[in-house]
Amino acid sequence: MTRVLSLHDVVKHYGAVKAVDGVSFEVSAGRITGLLGRNGAGKTTTLRMITGVLHPDRGRVALFGAEVEAARDRLGYLPEERGLYRKMRVLDHLLFLAEIKGRSPAAMRPAAERWLARFELLEKRNAKVEELSKGNQQKVQLAGALLFDPDLVVLDEPGSGLDPVNVVLVRRLLRELAAEGKAILLSTHQMGEAEKLCDEIVLVHAGKVVRSGPLAEVKASGGRDAVHLEFAGDGAFLTEHPAVASARVDTNRAELRLAPGGDAQEVLAAAAARLRVLRFEVVAPSLEEVFLEAVGETAPPEVAA
Amino acid sequence: MRKLWAVLKREYRETVRKPSFLIMTVLAPFLFGALMLVPALLATRGMGERKVAVLDGTGRLRTAVESLAGGAPGERSAFARGRGASAPTGRIVAEYVDLFTVDPKNAVGPYLERLSLERTPKERRLDGVLLVPADAFERPLTHLTYFSRSAADLLAEEQLGRAVNRALQRERLAARGLPPSELELILAPLPVETVQVTKSGQERRGGEGSFVLAMLFLALLFVPSLVYGQEVMRGVIQEKTDRVVELLVSSMTPMELLSGKILGMAAIGLTQMAVWVTMGGSLAVAGLSEARSAGFDLSTVLRPSIAVWFVVFFLLSYLVTVGVYAAGGAIAGSEKEAQQVLTPVMFVFLVPWFLMMPILTNPDSTLSVVLSLVPIYTPMTMFIRLLVSEPPAWQVALSLVLSVATIAGLMKASAKIFRAGLLATGKRPTIPEIWRWLKEA
Repeated sequence: MTRVLSLHDVVKHYGAVKAVDGVSFEVSAGRITGLLGRNGAGKTTTLRMITGVLHPDRGRVALFGAEVEAARDRLGYLPEERGLYRKMRVLDHLLFLAEIKGRSPAAMRPAAERWLARFELLEKRNAKVEELSKGNQQKVQLAGALLFDPDLVVLDEPGSGLDPVNVVLVRRLLRELAAEGKAILLSTHQMGEAEKLCDEIVLVHAGKVVRSGPLAEVKASGGRDAVHLEFAGDGAFLTEHPAVASARVDTNRAELRLAPGGDAQEVLAAAAARLRVLRFEVVAPSLEEVFLEAVGETAPPEVAA
Repeated sequence: MRKLWAVLKREYRETVRKPSFLIMTVLAPFLFGALMLVPALLATRGMGERKVAVLDGTGRLRTAVESLAGGAPGERSAFARGRGASAPTGRIVAEYVDLFTVDPKNAVGPYLERLSLERTPKERRLDGVLLVPADAFERPLTHLTYFSRSAADLLAEEQLGRAVNRALQRERLAARGLPPSELELILAPLPVETVQVTKSGQERRGGEGSFVLAMLFLALLFVPSLVYGQEVMRGVIQEKTDRVVELLVSSMTPMELLSGKILGMAAIGLTQMAVWVTMGGSLAVAGLSEARSAGFDLSTVLRPSIAVWFVVFFLLSYLVTVGVYAAGGAIAGSEKEAQQVLTPVMFVFLVPWFLMMPILTNPDSTLSVVLSLVPIYTPMTMFIRLLVSEPPAWQVALSLVLSVATIAGLMKASAKIFRAGLLATGKRPTIPEIWRWLKEA
């Protein structure tokens, strides 16, 4: 597994605010790495230091073992604030994006047309960017980040602004790229999405890495102490059960975390006594639960989409 | 280099493709020409024929006034030469009225009545009335009175006054017994011809021609720079609002981005100039020969070396201005804001324009020398000095070195501000923040 990108103790201040505070992690070829955290956790700032838009105040970012500036042509970037020249024609724009990555526009034309065809935008190649729908502009931008065949693709919130069909399209695309041996680093605040897509996880909170490693390991770090329950009846009493540390109870399903030493069987018995249990499962907690635990917050977050 | 080229090419192609560019390029010379010609035409037309009544209290000026009415070619061309060829002279039709026998004070009334637009039919209407008092020959301290509808009817007033005064002088001298042939000799005016003595011993003639050319060249030095500077600024702000900057900055150095944009704009400017030169070339040739026949030999001012200097100083002026505008665009959040920031800056830049008269009339004064060595003022000031004088070579060399060094520094600073400012969309940065950007990176 080739290491493509490594961050070592990277710090970035905005005035008095420490946006990124000693972040270290690595990204390898053929893997999809997810940089996860809430809004304002420092994800975008971290990505901007990787793409050379910002310089770290301290620490080192190594791209392909070199300085960021030396290797920037091997990196494709989808910024969080999407943007294209509105008046430019789609194909011209793609060729320009390849040219600023040091590729010859003439040589890139077939690739650009291939990507447009793949995104079903080929017949729009001579349209101006502003004539395209928002979703289509996003796809043009994504094509621009990929068409020059970069070895590392950095995507800041790739799912935002896409409809569900396109989210699936992008997910499949990223899987494919990883299978081809490309390194992919994406940031997202949607834990559910990351769980479906990522091989490696870096959880950041308030500018610091709180957990990192392969998805399975990160999830396992939370232990196997979660109980997922589906039932008919009123499950409100489950919150008070002595073996339960915390609980999220909906109308007919509940996610429980067991207290230390709490026995899942006791919970099952208690539930069976008062409810019609349809499903009972002891599992590793979801990424979201791991995250909340790592951050030290117990309040239920907004439900991940 | 390839990235700089990519930016340059995009800038060029996208601008040239715009319909507004085509319209501007093709129509600008016509608009500009119209702007120059129409007022001139209107002024001459407006002067047109002026009907003036000369009320002569002395009764002895009939021949002088009637020769004026008949055209008096000698008088007119001397007048024209004194004003420059473009000054509209108009034609004066004088109506001589002998008031020797009556008291002029009482006779003036009906003529003044004829100045009125409402009460007088057009064919009887007068544009001016000149009153020559009866004692004009005897009393040296009396005066001529010119009545006119317009207080600013200066040209007619001066032309008439001059003619009458000459006639008065002639009569006064003749009254003292001088024969007419000697009178001509005594009164013949001598025109002044300006000859510039250069260090190489050559003599150059120019005078007013140099002055007009200096104005023209100065305008050419800074107007395009300002126009293209604004264009670069607009482009930078567009990139910020379109949010393309992050992609650009992540792919190249700010210096590559900045120089690509500036050179792209220069290429656009050169294209436009080329079109205009081709369009205006024949006109200019015609204009030059016209000027020569009017008495200016512009070829002595328009030396080949001046063309070279013009290109050099045009580049310097262009780079300074556009660099500043680009940085301004990077700092500002919107076009309106950028204008607010840059307008005072531009006034600072235009100081030589406001000081043009002192520089032009005294190109080797301390003021001129100091201004020509201040880098942001070098292009305009040094160019004027080269045009109308011969500044010492060390001063020219020093001004060039200082300018180039300043441009290098400005570009570097602009690139830094550019990088930091590009990402800071939203509120306008404070001066300390900009200072921090300059120190960073």
